[in-house]
Amino acid sequence: MAPYIGTAVSRVDGVAKVTGAAKYAAEFSAPGLLYASIVSATITKGRITRIDTSAALAVEGVLTVLTHENRPRMADKDEAYKDEVAPDGSPFRPLYDDKIKFNGQPIALVVAERSEIARFAASLVVVEYGAAAYVTDVFRRREAAVPVKAPANPSEALFAPPKPRGDADRALAAAAVRHEGEYYVPIEHHNPMELYAATAIVDPDGKLTVYDKTQGVQNIQHYLCGVFGLKSDDVKVMNPYMGGGFGSGLRPQFEVVLAVLAARALQRSVRVVLTRQQMYALGYRPAMIQRIALGANRDGTLDAISHDAITVTSQYEDFYRQETAWSGLLYTSANAKYAHRLAHLDLATSCDMRAPSAATAVYALEAAMDELAVALKLDPLELRLRCYSDRDQHEDRPYSSKALRECYRQGAEAFGWSRRNPEPRSMREGTDLVGWGMATGVWDAFQAPITVRIVLTANGHAEVACATSDIGTGTYTIMAQVAADMLGLPLDNISIKLGDSSLPQSPVEGGSWIAASVSNGIATTAARIRNELLRLAKQMPGSPLADVGSDDVALADGKLVSKRDSSRAVSIADAMRQGAVERIEQEETTNPAQDEKRAHNTHSAIFAEVKIDEQLGVIRVTRVVSAIAAGRILNTKTATSQILGGVVWGIGMALHEETQIDHTFGRIVNANIAEYHVPVHADIHDIKVIFVDEPDDSNPLGIKGLGEIGIVGVAAAVANAVYHATGKRVRDLPISLDKLLA
Amino acid sequence: MRNEIRFLRGGREVRLSGFSPTLTLLDYLRLHERALGTKEGCAEGDCGACTVVLRRCVDGHVTYAPVNSCILFAGQADGAEVIAVDDLANGGLHPVQQAMVESHGSQCGFCTPGFVMALFGLYHAPRKGPLTRAAVNDFIAGNLCRCTGYRPIVDAALAACTAPPQDRFAEDEPEAVRRLAALADDADVLVGDDRRFFAAPASIASLADIYASHPDAVLVSGATDVGLWITKQLRDLPKIIWLGRVRGLDAISDEPDAVTFGATVTHQAAMPHLAAIDPDLGALLRRFAGRQVRTVGTIGGNIANGSPIGDTPPALIALGSTLILQQGDTTRTLPLEDFFIAYGRQDRRPGEFVRAVRVAKLGPDDCFRCYKISKRFDSDISAVMGAFRFTRNGDHIAAARIAFGGMAATPRRAAGAEAALAGVRLSDPTTWSAALTAVDADFSPLDDQRGSARYRRDTARALLRKALIEAAGTPTRETRVVDIREDAVVGR
Ligand SMILES: Cc1cc2nc3c(=O)[nH]c(=O)nc-3n(C[C@H](O)[C@H](O)[C@H](O)COP(=O)(O)OP(=O)(O)OC[C@H]3O[C@@H](n4cnc5c(N)ncnc54)[C@H](O)[C@@H]3O)c2cc1C
Ligand code: FES
Ligand code: FES
Repeated sequence: MAPYIGTAVSRVDGVAKVTGAAKYAAEFSAPGLLYASIVSATITKGRITRIDTSAALAVEGVLTVLTHENRPRMADKDEAYKDEVAPDGSPFRPLYDDKIKFNGQPIALVVAERSEIARFAASLVVVEYGAAAYVTDVFRRREAAVPVKAPANPSEALFAPPKPRGDADRALAAAAVRHEGEYYVPIEHHNPMELYAATAIVDPDGKLTVYDKTQGVQNIQHYLCGVFGLKSDDVKVMNPYMGGGFGSGLRPQFEVVLAVLAARALQRSVRVVLTRQQMYALGYRPAMIQRIALGANRDGTLDAISHDAITVTSQYEDFYRQETAWSGLLYTSANAKYAHRLAHLDLATSCDMRAPSAATAVYALEAAMDELAVALKLDPLELRLRCYSDRDQHEDRPYSSKALRECYRQGAEAFGWSRRNPEPRSMREGTDLVGWGMATGVWDAFQAPITVRIVLTANGHAEVACATSDIGTGTYTIMAQVAADMLGLPLDNISIKLGDSSLPQSPVEGGSWIAASVSNGIATTAARIRNELLRLAKQMPGSPLADVGSDDVALADGKLVSKRDSSRAVSIADAMRQGAVERIEQEETTNPAQDEKRAHNTHSAIFAEVKIDEQLGVIRVTRVVSAIAAGRILNTKTATSQILGGVVWGIGMALHEETQIDHTFGRIVNANIAEYHVPVHADIHDIKVIFVDEPDDSNPLGIKGLGEIGIVGVAAAVANAVYHATGKRVRDLPISLDKLLA
Repeated sequence: MRNEIRFLRGGREVRLSGFSPTLTLLDYLRLHERALGTKEGCAEGDCGACTVVLRRCVDGHVTYAPVNSCILFAGQADGAEVIAVDDLANGGLHPVQQAMVESHGSQCGFCTPGFVMALFGLYHAPRKGPLTRAAVNDFIAGNLCRCTGYRPIVDAALAACTAPPQDRFAEDEPEAVRRLAALADDADVLVGDDRRFFAAPASIASLADIYASHPDAVLVSGATDVGLWITKQLRDLPKIIWLGRVRGLDAISDEPDAVTFGATVTHQAAMPHLAAIDPDLGALLRRFAGRQVRTVGTIGGNIANGSPIGDTPPALIALGSTLILQQGDTTRTLPLEDFFIAYGRQDRRPGEFVRAVRVAKLGPDDCFRCYKISKRFDSDISAVMGAFRFTRNGDHIAAARIAFGGMAATPRRAAGAEAALAGVRLSDPTTWSAALTAVDADFSPLDDQRGSARYRRDTARALLRKALIEAAGTPTRETRVVDIREDAVVGR
């Protein structure tokens, strides 16, 4: 039987999705289900001085209107609200008190027999406010921004600010060629296609089953237990399918608190669905102002890097990532310094969004590198090669693997980079200006502790269970592939259980760590199953495996086979019959080896072509080549489409995506997908994805994860191509028509 | 008079009465039928997740129209068969579903039902010649996906939609024709009472009557604007008069010197006629929203809505168009540009409706150009829309009609620039400058998130220059924002 790992297996959940049978959080029902609609604050900061729900309550079919005045009890300590990935600070508590912290904050919940009644009654709630002064503009908080500190939450420890090395100021002053520039990326919203929703079902025994749109069922479950003082088995959280998260569902969002609040208040099952507009009150990618200074020698080697960043968070929590660390990591440079400050604005807390920190910081670094290349009169790719580092520059340690050079080579070749005329505005097609740009991408290869349970039955079927999620990335499919290979069974004999908080422990699904973690978790548990089968097989009279050690057998084609002599084999069925067992169940936690001696990263090289109608500023990204080094590729289909999706995000980031806030009112003005532009089909032309070979032994399967790397660097490649086409450098994203013409 | 609406679901006839006039088809499916396959991603017509297909019988042909069910009133399904994603697989997967699985066109899956239904529409769309990637892009431009990067979906379309349709829907077409014919009648429809109703008059006379008695009713044509008043502005519209059943209101009469479009002619239906006047108009309509919106959105609605950034008014004004309005049994006509009085105000009297628009064709000495400039190239509302008709007299411009959208509170002519062009020599660009300056003075545009005032001015000037360059030379690809005669039009 050929292995499944590494092949283009179609998604195991494909049929459910194309037929509409896959059910999402808003689609679970229960007898007597109630529908709730959220009333959102229309001011940006202050207090609710009066909230009049009488008109809403008078509507026939309305059961209750919950506000901070009449809600059921909730915890009063910050600790209760801190989830697995909470940043430092005091988390937002929905309907907790009269304080308004951001525009669009939920302030009341109308619960009714039907959704249209709830929606209509919500429009009748009258609110009076005492407004306070606020600031939503990062440029106005620039001076007041405060330096980040190392996070207190141990699981956030890896986001501690990087340490400087050498004397960057001196090196910059002495540099033969210098480039310094300020770059800006605005706030962006994830805009997954599924609307945020939670259905809280009150079971007959009074316990709760909550279907929530989340990237971590156990994270939500712990959180709800804390907030509502529930015992662990009082509440179960489920998300069999999730219509996209991209980081927005890593932390608990207010829909789930509100659904559970209402369910507890009424002892009835309740569903809360956000509108697209209300989703703009969830987290967002923090806007980032950054100054990059690069000091180089004449030969194109770097001597100094300085990266200053200001990122955005709320007034009540300090969300940030290692925004400044990527620049010091990527290229060889003896001197580096960083300064990362946080601007506290009257907005909801920012949060992770696809390749958090790297998408924004690497954009700036790679745009700055392009400018340095121009200053040095060097080909941008050649500059990257001259600065190439084989060692992690922060810790001065080797990489477990780094095939970035190969990405550059294969990507450039596929793109035809050598035919580039370095002169800006030199390439034309008709009157269209043509530009070619490139950039590097980098991301972490994380792995987290995880527990996997496998139940093998004598008929050769296996159920693999873990409380992870499939947020669209293909977790069901890769779990089935890995389990089939590890257990030597056909793919169809594997069933996957996930998205249920009562299953064995899993971290939240994000940061591209799930594929590696869960796959290796399956390998570990499968090995335990194999050992148990071997134990039974050895007991058979005249067992052909009697003298075979556990490292010398493998499971293949439904049999336990000696690796040395494939004629020596015992079928799973026979082994289990011998032991008179119907099922073998093993549950095992895999703690990834702490390999501090090496750095673990994925890399990419992106090449982009743009065509620009100069008079009108109309930009089209006509070609992208993305060459990826990310360890072993589990499934070429799921992997390719992960990267394609990432590239498209990068194009959106370069050209369209921007959450626009009217700072006079503190309100988002394009809180919909008509005006918040994500790329559509016709924006997307030729995208080629190349996976370069990158053997890696950091974990037994050699996996690194792919969810984030696809976006990193793409915006820079596009921006650099726009410069090459027009000779105009737009340093704040998105590169809109008017900025190009201005 | 019929007091219920009737449509088919899975071969079964559904009769609805006593529903709220503004019940959407999506809410009907998800909340009333609990058919959950169809998704809601935005409730504003922007994402296509809610796409369903309406199968109708038109002049003996069976048509499959993909529509956004989130902004379509349930009453608009009257007389059709509603096909949703849950209905496709029958034993095995439908070919478009199979192709979506195989080419990995689904990741998180939330957009998938909408794509499947759009592809189902494409699968059944009449085609001239082989299906191109551009045609697929065009057909599904109204569907958003945040995960896949689109290419796998386009691959699925190319794999599944090339051969003539062979699914069970194609097979049972004779039967469908019979069942749909059984639904058809000539009755006026009124569901509700005098205070709250969904009405669908069947003739122009009935329409004139009911609108005269209820001038406070809201006319609904495709509902691609009105639908958003419900889902986005949460307005309560107690009285709805839907024009979709009015016989003859969707007539197109194509004469040698003009085309007359009835008010309910959809953008999709108008496209070939407009493209025949000038390919630029075809290109313009192709970038008018996505297929789902064009399939139901109408010319009459686009005009009556009076938006300053509507796409057809500037084009039609530049061509030279006459609007035909009717109230009771009186009709009157006026130049289209005169219809737009101020922001949100049109020259329309109580009980008066748009009956038709008569669009002048081009003469041998005319040169027409129109350009839509939007922040996102496809599926976006215009920031600036410019349309130009130059009548040449040898090297001179004898007359010019220029209209812009996005430059003022209404679609408007650039009177100064038109005057300044009189007598200008096309072969001598130095003579153009007065007109280029005049277009600046013609407008004082606003700053908004679609573009700054300065950008709008610069763009208007650049568009005029572009039009002149093209009028001066052979119309070349070189100066185009969109390619000329890019063959991407599928079906009718
Ligand atoms: C996603 C999306 C994208 C869009 N993209 C574009 C675009 O690119 N360009 C563009 O111009 N528009 C766009 N629109 C707006 C809309 O589709 C058009 O304005 C469309 O032509 C409206 O036609 P309709 O038949 O749907 O009008 P309806 O919504 O039915 O009606 C619109 C208005 O006209 C009135 N009305 C309708 N018919 C008559 C009549 N016969 N007499 C008097 N009044 C009447 C209605 O009462 C209402 O006030 C878009 C809309 C959506 C949802
Ligand atoms: S739900 Fe987005 S178009 Fe209908
Ligand atoms: S598959 Fe997730 S939005 Fe398309």
